[in-house]
Amino acid sequence: MNNNICCKGIHHANYKHRIPSIILSKILLTMKLTVLLTVFTCLQIKASVYSQQVSLSVKKAPLEKIIKEIRKQTGYAFFYDAAYLQNAEPVSLDVRKVSLSEALTKVFERQKFTWEVMDKTIVIKPSMKENKGVADFVQSTTDIKGKVVNERGEPLPGATINIKGTTISTAADGNGDFFLKAVDSQATIVISHTGFKTQEIVVGNRKELNIHLFYAQRDLDEVVVVGYGTQKKTDVTGAISSVNFEEQRDRPYTNALQSIQATVPGVNITQTQGAPGASPNVRIRGISSITAGTNPLYVIDGIPMESFDLNSINPQDIKSLDILKDASASAIYGSRGANGVVLITTRLGAIGKTKVQVGYEHGVQSVKRRVKLMNAQEFIKYYIDARNNAWIANAGNADDPNSVRESKYRIPEEFLNDPQQFGQGTDWQDVLFRTAQSDNLQLSLSGGNDKTQFLVSGSYLNQDGVVDNNNYKRLTFRTNLRHKISEKITTGINLNISAIYDRSYGTGGKEDVVSLALQNDPVFPVYNENGNYGFRDPQSVWYKYTQYDLQLWHPYAITREIDRLQKNFNTMATAYLEYEIIQGLKFRTSINANLYNGRYNDFRNAGQNYGWSAIQPAEGSTNSRFNLNWLSENTLSYKFNIGNDNNLDLIAGYTVQEERNEYSQVISGDFPNDLVHTLNAGKVISGTSTAYEWALLSYFGRVNYNYKQKYFLTGSIRRDGSSRFGMNNKWGYFPSIAGSWLISNEDFLQNRDWIQQLKLRASYGVTGNNQIDNYGAISLMSNRNYVNGSTLANGVIVNTMTNPDLRWEKSEQLNVGLDMLFFDQRIGLTLDLYNSVTKDLLLGIPVPDITGFATQLSNIGKMRNRGIEVALTTKNLTNNLKWTTDFNIAVNRNKVLELGSNGDPIYTNDYGTTKTEIGRPIANYYGYVFNGVYNTQEQIESSPHTANTTPGDPIVVDINKDGVINENDRTIIGNYQPDFTAGLTNTFSYKGFEFSFMLQGVFGNEILNQEARFTKIYNGSRNAYSSVNNYWKSPENPGDGKIFKPSIAYSGLQQQFSNYWVEDGTFVRIKNISLSYAPSAAFLDKVRFFKDLRVYVNVENLHVFSNYSGFDPENSSYSTGLMLGADYGSYPIPRNITFGIKTSL
Amino acid sequence: MKFRNIKGFFPIVYFFFIIVNVGCTKDFLNRNPESNMSTGNFYKSKEDFVLALNAAYSQLYTIYDPLSAMSFCGEQMSDNATIYNIAGNQSEQTAFKDYSLMANNSVVYRFWQEAYKAIFQTNIVISNIQAADLDESFKMQAESEMKFLRALFYFNTVRMFGGVPLVTTPVTELESYGYGRASEEDVYKQIVSDLVFAEENIQEDAPAVGRATKGAVDALLGKVYLTLGDKQNATTYLMRIYNTYSLLSNYKSLWDVSYKNSSESIFEIQYLGGASVPSSRYWPIFAPFENLTIVANGGGMNQVTETLWNEFEPNDVRKDASIFQGYTNRVGKFIEIKFPKKWVDSTAQVINEEEACSNNFIVLRYADVLLMLAESTGDAKYLNEVRARVSLPLYGSASYPSQKYGTLELAIEHERRVELALEFHRWFDLKRTGRAIAVLQANGKNVTNDKLLLPIPQVVVDQNSIITQNPGY
Repeated sequence: MNNNICCKGIHHANYKHRIPSIILSKILLTMKLTVLLTVFTCLQIKASVYSQQVSLSVKKAPLEKIIKEIRKQTGYAFFYDAAYLQNAEPVSLDVRKVSLSEALTKVFERQKFTWEVMDKTIVIKPSMKENKGVADFVQSTTDIKGKVVNERGEPLPGATINIKGTTISTAADGNGDFFLKAVDSQATIVISHTGFKTQEIVVGNRKELNIHLFYAQRDLDEVVVVGYGTQKKTDVTGAISSVNFEEQRDRPYTNALQSIQATVPGVNITQTQGAPGASPNVRIRGISSITAGTNPLYVIDGIPMESFDLNSINPQDIKSLDILKDASASAIYGSRGANGVVLITTRLGAIGKTKVQVGYEHGVQSVKRRVKLMNAQEFIKYYIDARNNAWIANAGNADDPNSVRESKYRIPEEFLNDPQQFGQGTDWQDVLFRTAQSDNLQLSLSGGNDKTQFLVSGSYLNQDGVVDNNNYKRLTFRTNLRHKISEKITTGINLNISAIYDRSYGTGGKEDVVSLALQNDPVFPVYNENGNYGFRDPQSVWYKYTQYDLQLWHPYAITREIDRLQKNFNTMATAYLEYEIIQGLKFRTSINANLYNGRYNDFRNAGQNYGWSAIQPAEGSTNSRFNLNWLSENTLSYKFNIGNDNNLDLIAGYTVQEERNEYSQVISGDFPNDLVHTLNAGKVISGTSTAYEWALLSYFGRVNYNYKQKYFLTGSIRRDGSSRFGMNNKWGYFPSIAGSWLISNEDFLQNRDWIQQLKLRASYGVTGNNQIDNYGAISLMSNRNYVNGSTLANGVIVNTMTNPDLRWEKSEQLNVGLDMLFFDQRIGLTLDLYNSVTKDLLLGIPVPDITGFATQLSNIGKMRNRGIEVALTTKNLTNNLKWTTDFNIAVNRNKVLELGSNGDPIYTNDYGTTKTEIGRPIANYYGYVFNGVYNTQEQIESSPHTANTTPGDPIVVDINKDGVINENDRTIIGNYQPDFTAGLTNTFSYKGFEFSFMLQGVFGNEILNQEARFTKIYNGSRNAYSSVNNYWKSPENPGDGKIFKPSIAYSGLQQQFSNYWVEDGTFVRIKNISLSYAPSAAFLDKVRFFKDLRVYVNVENLHVFSNYSGFDPENSSYSTGLMLGADYGSYPIPRNITFGIKTSL
Repeated sequence: MKFRNIKGFFPIVYFFFIIVNVGCTKDFLNRNPESNMSTGNFYKSKEDFVLALNAAYSQLYTIYDPLSAMSFCGEQMSDNATIYNIAGNQSEQTAFKDYSLMANNSVVYRFWQEAYKAIFQTNIVISNIQAADLDESFKMQAESEMKFLRALFYFNTVRMFGGVPLVTTPVTELESYGYGRASEEDVYKQIVSDLVFAEENIQEDAPAVGRATKGAVDALLGKVYLTLGDKQNATTYLMRIYNTYSLLSNYKSLWDVSYKNSSESIFEIQYLGGASVPSSRYWPIFAPFENLTIVANGGGMNQVTETLWNEFEPNDVRKDASIFQGYTNRVGKFIEIKFPKKWVDSTAQVINEEEACSNNFIVLRYADVLLMLAESTGDAKYLNEVRARVSLPLYGSASYPSQKYGTLELAIEHERRVELALEFHRWFDLKRTGRAIAVLQANGKNVTNDKLLLPIPQVVVDQNSIITQNPGY
């Protein structure tokens, strides 16, 4: 902090509210220290305990050091322009226990400065002889030259310099230099640059200004967005993680959330599907619900949106992303806050010259982590053994010819006589996957003056997926406008329009192309001799294999024979008006709307070129979806002080929100050929349309209070009424209270130089989760027709049970946190501990079927999440070579406390079983434990086993030790929730170069590999993992002792859900490596065209260290519910290398 | 535009209050589903009850589906049918025919759920109808029909699972935990009481084709009494409809789409076929798996065993009417495989890879009644009426194969097997006559007495500990 105007030893606070302006002008006039006015600084010193006597013994010490020492001894603050001190003479002095004034006189003896004590502050000013007199600068204009540099003294081209209250502004050139003509000496100039803290300086009589801008990041004055307003970071009482998007600038992503993956502790973001445009799954502080949704609430420029597709917002338009994690922060969002709240704020132009920013990025994606599968030779052996093992179990012999076998035991003669003709066979992953290219073009214009600021941006993304024929295109436009109608009235509008064309294949899990490609038998060629895909072509020589239960779902039979496209059009608009009734009292009203239109068309060619398991007729469908969400929000806020020490900020508000969804679908069949894909060419088979609505009414209020910037208190309450809940429980209250103590503002820490911030926070609040069906409380009926002879008779069946008591889930959360900044802000640490209990858990509880229903939605159950979150940032090197490390780690423990009406566990059965029971985490995997393979009959006889067990069959553990293997031997065999998650980012910069790498780690979770029911267990002659080659063949050749022998007819529990399907989900991923270069300002100056320029290369998802046998340990085929950690052949997460260039003109 | 004074600000405040008022209107938060009916204001008018009655009848579609419990138990657990290749989790389906069922078999659980879903749809009508302000005759007729259906559903369920929870009104979740398994005897008591009520109150003629008639009630009551071993009561009720129905002269016509609801039919499940209307799936599901020529796909269920094929006497036209011997595949090769023929609908429209057939499914028909009469009375004349239709030598005549079927009991057993082949009767018949173990073991089935009941689904036992498992599981 050298050249800046500053006030040492005093923490930043709101200056204006501290010192009456009369005193200020007095200072100005009498001291001629014009530079004093610069700023956000404050003066507030309590010096009562300090001595008035000074002892100093120094030789040729810099003046600054002396000042520091005096301050330490006396507690007096110093107020000065640091620039002056640069020219100060070194001081040699030896005094003991002299008075302050005596010491100061001696110190300033040979200086060009003099000093004066005001209150408890020592103001240093130039000696009178240096100045021309008061009148000179009070009324005069002057031309100003200046230079804007960053913390390291490097020029900041493009910085905006605006004369406050006028439209006069300029921008710093390539060298950071600027020039302003005829500036009033009393004018204040405002210097701003994106990513830096804005500074205001009173010009005074200076002709040259050297301005240092400081990074906004980590700045104590940084502002964070909270619900219905903003707060200074130091004032925040809750647990809020704030992400400045300038940091994320170079990484390629379509969804803003992807960029913060592994960077925010307690925010678990999982990219479950790697398809372009696939939204990540977000869970904040664990799973707080079993049945209701677990998605956070997204608030985009103030509009709360449930289940919103963030892909429709261009990440480059985003200024900041703030995540409200604890209940005190999110309680202001009431019945929707329990899963956390993500606040997204979009950019607005800075005052100054219009800035044109252009960016282009080219990406190359590929699947680097393939699944290792058997080749044709291995598969043939496996196939033969599976048939023979079953045949032998059926009293046959392995060498019996087909003629004596039943059809299901027969083996193609070629497999037996000449398997070599199949060679290695086809690698179906080669067929399915490709190297995919992407292009991303960004353009934005931003700027404005003090009355009007704007941002206009557009972007176009064209991204191919790594799966054949998979493509994603997005076009976005945004206009953000803010205009001051008068001193009191400000209005604005944010408008975002996006269009997405998504041709997606492979994210459907079980029956989609990625899952099935792994199961395809490698013996088949990509094309048969007729140029068709499949062996089901009756004219093909391959047709004979149809009788041998072989499998082929040709990838192209989906990707090339099914013509599909999802088109999404989203328009989001906010218009607001702010009226400052009296100083500090502000009324704000806004009307917001989000209009979504989605169209989906699909056409399946007849027969799919014989590439599918069945010869299907041509079929076409078209769907359309329409959602309109509108919101009216009205708030009254009042910010005021009582005395100097009591600062209050109140807000009260009222909102109305409503959403309507409409859906329609038409399906046609009987197409004469594949030429026309629109439905008019066929005959309509079925059609439907539905509509749903919900409405929400809310009242809320909040009080923020602080005493002397030391003690902070926040209380809030929201009352929500929702249409989704039962007649008896339409309304709910969501209160919260939080306090924090900014210990570093206490006197006793005032002189500890090494502490910049130390804050203790505690909060408690209640939030709700309303993410259930719109009509969950109502017993719904639907059509179920019967026939009276030859006419259709309408019938109506009861679908769901009614529950007039249905209400939201309530989460009560306690949070204790600590924020610390040490050693010149070189170490920053945030620590949070929380305990959250969700009550009235919404359970679609499996009810006894004798009620006529399988489930009923009820508020029965209780669950707890408790955890620790740590975020640590260290600036290891801050010189020319800068090195910053960001580390975060989060631990969450989940436990079900109460469940259902009588505590019975909840089971889900979906190719794997989960059991949710009291006293344990939600959704434990529940199945048998296989412990190796029986090698001999003796081994079998000596342990409990199922009937018909033979050597080569799995050893099923008798869990309950009752000597019998049955259902009661199922036990807990894993859980998808990690023990802890961590992220580590290191950033190095040297001159214009910046290099960073980021590691993501998830530890201690298990994956339910549903694909294993085919690829690990012989089932319907599908191909298997190459690791399965180690299966048991004979007592002499027992394989790896883990993989049981294949059979087409297992007699035991082989196909039952067991630990054989469950895999370790621990992984460490090299998430990102990036290298960027920004040419020096001097160079850019020569080019004279660019204001700034940056080129970069990025490698996303470089490598995953994991033992998982599927594509990616992060994959999951489910985005919600109890099967979250289950993977049924999900879309792999590709490696993505991007090259980009960004510049502004 | 200046809003410097409070006057200028007034429009904003005004707007604010309008919004507040919109929000405060009471109905803003009361959203009734637009795309669904809800029970709140249902079960009031006659039209409501007609809709509810039809919905209860529609449960027959699941209860008698080709993949239903009736199909799996009636045929596959007997010696009539088997499965070879089928799609999906094969072991859970083949476990029926192999008698290797385990309590966690998801198919068994599905059957349990389907049974109680069907029972619920009858219960909700029965418990609402008496309070409705409607004419008495309509109410009695509706209640009778529903009690007939409920009796039919419980009769099927008790024969598969043994004693089951006896639910006769809609119950809440909490109440449901109080329901353990009723004894088999109590379940039958309820069945009889429902049927007796229906017998006394139902109109002679159904209000619409396909609905339960008095004849249907008598036939079912007869069957229930026969199952209970009460031959006297069985005879009483069966005799009430003796000669009120007649056998079709051509056996084959019974499943012909142009002979629906014939004079032989007593209770028949109605289908229309084609798109968007209830269509019957027996033909495609019973066709060989993925044959791709006779039907679009083929489900491979209930493939006919050799023993059933051989059970037919020479010259029995019912053999050819009931069973296919194979089909010609796409390359013109004849594939030998025996599968059901009764429900062929060659004109059916193919929708979603499946023939949307129009054939009805006959639950109760006169030939069944005649054979039951033979059983309850011990009089062969009823048996011979059935044999006369297909011109086979009469029981007691010289040319009757009495070396094979020496007693009337065996003759009836044989006759029922061929006459009612693949119509979901066989296993229940064998159980009723106590012949199941002997016959099935002779057919190589690994069956014990315990295995003649399905396991109570594990989920059900887990859910409510007062529900006990059947022995042997």
